[in-house]
Amino acid sequence: MAQPSIPTVTVEQFYLDNAEALQLKLVAGGAGLAQRIHEGSVNRPGLALAGFFDYFAFRRVQVIGGAEWRFLKSLGEAEGLRRVEQMLGRKIPCLAFSRNLNPWTAIEAACDRAQVPLFKTKMVTMKFINAATIALENEFAPQISEQGSMVDILGVGVLIRGESGVGKSESVLALLERGYSLVSDDVTRIRLVSGRELMGTSSETTRYHMEIRGLGIINVPAIFGVASVRSEKRVDLVITLKEWNQVAEVDRVGLEQQTYTILGIALPHITIPIRPGRDLARIIEVATLDQKLKSLGHNAAREFNERLIQRMRNPSAPRL
Amino acid sequence: MTIFRQTPESGGAQVATKEVTVINKLGIHARPAALFVKVASKFDSSIIVEREGEQINGKSIMGLMMLAAGAGSQLKLIAEGRDAEDAVAELEKLFQRKFDEE
Repeated sequence: MAQPSIPTVTVEQFYLDNAEALQLKLVAGGAGLAQRIHEGSVNRPGLALAGFFDYFAFRRVQVIGGAEWRFLKSLGEAEGLRRVEQMLGRKIPCLAFSRNLNPWTAIEAACDRAQVPLFKTKMVTMKFINAATIALENEFAPQISEQGSMVDILGVGVLIRGESGVGKSESVLALLERGYSLVSDDVTRIRLVSGRELMGTSSETTRYHMEIRGLGIINVPAIFGVASVRSEKRVDLVITLKEWNQVAEVDRVGLEQQTYTILGIALPHITIPIRPGRDLARIIEVATLDQKLKSLGHNAAREFNERLIQRMRNPSAPRL
Repeated sequence: MTIFRQTPESGGAQVATKEVTVINKLGIHARPAALFVKVASKFDSSIIVEREGEQINGKSIMGLMMLAAGAGSQLKLIAEGRDAEDAVAELEKLFQRKFDEE
């Protein structure tokens, strides 16, 4: 298993991914797009503009809103520009003006000189900060690649693991035929969102395609229709397919809930022994439905067992 | 009650039987049943468990649970096959060990 990685985020990537959602427009400093954003957060540099640099979150995206702008204007253009240049000198990743504020051309020129990208957005400052924080959190979410295909079965995101050639793709294909949707084939990118949810997706290059032994690469939506794919889905359940003789001990009654941990999050985990002739897709489907039942608070195995024990204690009770 | 019975394995077939008592408090519920089947499945012999004239296949979890053998119930283990003696002896130990439950 690969080590989790905190991705490197450049200003360019942040801009390309979020230009639309954050209504960002690049105004100046394009030469600095390759700069890294070191901290996935937003800062309002009011104190820095006032000349206080002892504690300045210079690694974050800097946002100038109404308050900061009014303050700069109150200083007059010459002094205001000097303060901005002072801040640009601290290696900030980029600067964004919200509320459609128009920075002086001198500021644009200063950003060009310092190679600090300068953005403008129509959004109001608070809204922009909220949206940008979420966007940055997504960009900075820890990620990992898991060997496994992912399918959305009736709203349950199922990661199907197993060694190459164990029959993952065939199972997935059978699940697609039943009308469920593919998230990723063979390798699933998993991202930890807000520290508590795991999002599964495919790498952009292989998205919506599958490799089937004997067939080669197939285009899933072209064959099964657009409903057969989705770009991302929360991971709710992990199923591991294993050769029959490699499964040391199979939980035959399902009383114990196994877990599989990805990026620190423990997910329900089921190991399914495979054997020729076993309808894996059907078993995966039922396992998923049973998991859904569990998430609604019904544990069939446990309830059954409690009734059985009750009956053994009191044999005159009605039959099971 | 219908009897589920496996055909005896061919070649040197032996039959072994043993009376056992369920002494663990909760009886043969899911966990002990699974453990019993796990041990029983290691043997080639067919294994039958009988309670009050009702016989079930000792390699079936659902069958064992159907017996609803609570604490104190008497069961008869019947094994047929070349390793019947060993099977019965090992399964009996499970009962004595209270299925590692207590």
